[in-house]
Amino acid sequence: MASTGKETANGQSAKAMGPGTTPITAPSAAKAASWESYYSSVKNFKLKTKQQELLIRIAVLVLIYILAFACRLFSVLRYESVIHEFDPYFNYRTTLYLTQKGFYEFWNWFDYESWYPLGRIVGGTLYPGLMVTAAILYWVLRFLSLAVHIKDVCVLTAPFFASNTAMVAYFFGTELRDRGTGLVAAILLAICPGYISRSVAGSYDNEAVAIFALLLTFYLFVKAVNTGSLAWSLGAAFGYFYMVSAWGGYIFIINLLPIYVLVLLVTGRYSLRLYIAYSSVYIIGMLLAMQIRFVGYQHVQSGEHMAAMGVFFLMQVFYLVEYVKKQLGDPKLFKAFLRVTVTLAVGVGALALIVGLATGYISPWTGRFYSLLDPTYAKIHIPIIASVSEHQPTAWSSFMFDFHILSILFPAGLYFCFKNLTDGTIFIIIYGLTSLYFAGVMVRLILVATPAVCLISAIAISATLKNLSVLLREKAPVYTSTKITAKQKASAKTGADQPLPFQKEGAFLLLLGALYMLINFGFHCTWVTSEAYSSPSIVLAARQSNGERVIFDDFREAYFWLQHNTPPDAKVMSWWDYGYQITAMGNRTVIVDNNTWNNTHIATVGRAMASNEDDAYDIMRQLDVDYVLVVFGGVTGYSSDDINKYGNWNLVILLEPCCVTPIV
Amino acid sequence: MGVRVVAMVVAMVVAMVGLVGADVNEDRVAELVHLQSQSKDGVVRMDDKKFRRFASPDVPRPYALIIFFDAEQLWGQQELRLEEFRREFGLAATAYIRHNQGGSGERKVFFCDVEFREAQGIFRLFDVQTLPHVRHMPPGSGDHQASVDMKANESPRTAEGIAGFVTARTGYECGDIERPPLMSRDRVLVLLGLFLVAAPFVGKKLAAPGSPLRDSRIWMAGALAIYFFSVSGGMHNIIRKMPLFMQDRNDPQKLVFFYHGSGMQLGTEGFVVGFLYTIVGLFLGFITHIAPNVTSKNAQRIIMIFAITISFIAVRKVISLDNWKTGYRIHAFWPSRWM
Repeated sequence: MASTGKETANGQSAKAMGPGTTPITAPSAAKAASWESYYSSVKNFKLKTKQQELLIRIAVLVLIYILAFACRLFSVLRYESVIHEFDPYFNYRTTLYLTQKGFYEFWNWFDYESWYPLGRIVGGTLYPGLMVTAAILYWVLRFLSLAVHIKDVCVLTAPFFASNTAMVAYFFGTELRDRGTGLVAAILLAICPGYISRSVAGSYDNEAVAIFALLLTFYLFVKAVNTGSLAWSLGAAFGYFYMVSAWGGYIFIINLLPIYVLVLLVTGRYSLRLYIAYSSVYIIGMLLAMQIRFVGYQHVQSGEHMAAMGVFFLMQVFYLVEYVKKQLGDPKLFKAFLRVTVTLAVGVGALALIVGLATGYISPWTGRFYSLLDPTYAKIHIPIIASVSEHQPTAWSSFMFDFHILSILFPAGLYFCFKNLTDGTIFIIIYGLTSLYFAGVMVRLILVATPAVCLISAIAISATLKNLSVLLREKAPVYTSTKITAKQKASAKTGADQPLPFQKEGAFLLLLGALYMLINFGFHCTWVTSEAYSSPSIVLAARQSNGERVIFDDFREAYFWLQHNTPPDAKVMSWWDYGYQITAMGNRTVIVDNNTWNNTHIATVGRAMASNEDDAYDIMRQLDVDYVLVVFGGVTGYSSDDINKYGNWNLVILLEPCCVTPIV
Repeated sequence: MGVRVVAMVVAMVVAMVGLVGADVNEDRVAELVHLQSQSKDGVVRMDDKKFRRFASPDVPRPYALIIFFDAEQLWGQQELRLEEFRREFGLAATAYIRHNQGGSGERKVFFCDVEFREAQGIFRLFDVQTLPHVRHMPPGSGDHQASVDMKANESPRTAEGIAGFVTARTGYECGDIERPPLMSRDRVLVLLGLFLVAAPFVGKKLAAPGSPLRDSRIWMAGALAIYFFSVSGGMHNIIRKMPLFMQDRNDPQKLVFFYHGSGMQLGTEGFVVGFLYTIVGLFLGFITHIAPNVTSKNAQRIIMIFAITISFIAVRKVISLDNWKTGYRIHAFWPSRWM
């Protein structure tokens, strides 16, 4: 549809020598001639269409890569390269340990500096993907003689992987529809606030790497299903392994793939490609996942993973049935066989499940994920989960904040997907809908829904823009007689048989409208990133009455005071929010920290904080506490200090395990 | 000698009062038991008169009273969840009666509730300003000064919390709280049986080539329904039990449909916003695929213009609604100076 490269502006074809050059026959003529030919070839340099397209595409992708990285650097530019929030400090401390002591020490680390006097088995209770990734980046950079500090590597890991995710989105979009969709998907994912919220520079948390692994696994799996190749399936299995090593959210993958396979089976799309892809990914992925100690044998023991196993066996049954169908010529015999097989399969499967559940070998769904299926469960039974602000249900304004027009374009994208159903589009529909549903249950899960929403909206945007530009690029038809030729009948759909003066203008207007909408989206994303998601909670800023900015660095000053003014074996008691930061920056032993694996220990600390001084002193002597850290908002008006917390959640957690209801 | 006579007289009077008191008490206890058995959940409804009779400090009470202060006009306020609390109170009462049947705790604690309109005097007597309010009146001849209220931050507003309060104050256990399940065991068994019997037939129907499961339109409708439910904040409304609308705090006649403030929303608000979202998306699909099949060119143009206008208005409305609700003003960052 674009004009071919042959028709250049001056009507010349791509010849090596242009007009105006005269051949010189002097001895230096050869050299001069070659110079002339080189010069004219540069002057008449014209790319073929394919090369033009490639250049534009690569240029756009490079710009998207840089943009995805750059728009996450607000806090580094405003404050400094510092690690944000609470959880990343633990990740930073473990990465530091890994780079200093090596992998085996890290893998077998027992940390006696937290959860005094219980200690914590770090090696077996964390997801090592993030730390190992950052350590590898650090070692590679060091090997290239770039003397970087591990802290800077940690701070910038998230934007780096965000750029990589945008690239994966490009490939995924290409796989789903075409290259235009891929480009739009890449740019949407690069600036979408839903993803930026957890991948700004400084947010050194599991999600930074995990979303990359998630999208990569999904892309490789869809590619495997589309091609049926074992190589792509292997790639998907390794992608799944990376995801398992990076984040607990891998449960989403191991449950989404069975749902996808079931939907394909139910809608009659069983194929050998699907069989190869799913079987290889499941088996190899499961074996690889068992290498992570934190996951262990959960793939065969936990109720959350049983769906994948059930679907795996179902696939084998399907394959057997298909195979027998091909071998048996007689349809009646086959029907009988089918009936026997189905009954047997269902019976054996149900029996195995019941036996497993009854003997307790298969554990039921844990509270964290059960509260997604029954959202009212956590509030009644596990207040410590329900108290986290990220676990609250989502109001529509949060969707608007994180997605803006993407949530409006989502149904249009769904519609386009349904019109053009392939195995790939079915996958993205299922991914989009399940993740959107869970995002409605918990605000935190908007992050998981973001890639799907970006991809589906990209389909809508790309399809619309393509249709509009097709209209714009159409040549004006020659108005012949009223005889309706076949050609004109065929083009009647686009309305090109009548000279419609409004057609092109209408399309142009619509294109301008789409441009306006996307520009507004860009503004929204930039504003949201700058104002809402770029604050390192460890450094606070406020505006004085005269407009000047005041920076509060109280947290770090307090931790460094601890480091410099207390003996090295001092034990510090504080509310669990600050545990990781105290161990990472203050380098002192803490009683409880953000891991919250022992609710009784936390309740003891809470009791000490909430009682009068005499009782509290007894408890603290029992715990061997030397220092107590209390956060007080006071004059600065910091609203999430300890005094405020004790109005609500601390007492609720303290009263566990007897029936508790939040008092709010 | 006079002292001894006076002492004997006093002892006789006390004994007589005691006897009379014992009679009065037996009557009171019997009537309370009767009222209790008549009530639905073991909670005795008291008004001014009954309260003066059963809780009068003249004759020492052998029983304790747990009083629930209720006000029907406040049942509409969602944040208080007064009706729910009253139900929990009833569950605790039933549990106590059942647990202490024939035991030492029988007839020792009576659960009662007072409603504002019927018993304003009692409210004034105990100086109850805020609801919910639960008080324990110990046995003996103490009057309202001797009662203790259940503090909200010590005992949560569940039946178990009330039971804990009762046990802490009176020393008698309430026993296990039995909550009626959603469906009785028999009903569940019957449903399961029906399901097992129907499963093969339904399954065969669904697996056949012409079944609704293979029709992409059914899936599309389902997909749009899930999208609508999620994006309009449906889960939030269900979990937090948000009402469809609220009464305006300043003007009780007006109804408020849109919540001003980010992070929370009302039911109608969710539906309206979800509808606006879905309309725009569906219009886009509509004009791409269905409109070109309309034969008349004018009709096509009209449909186009209609779709464009509606989509534009809808998007504008959603964005302005969002700006009003959250108070954010999104703006671009133009460079203000060179350095």
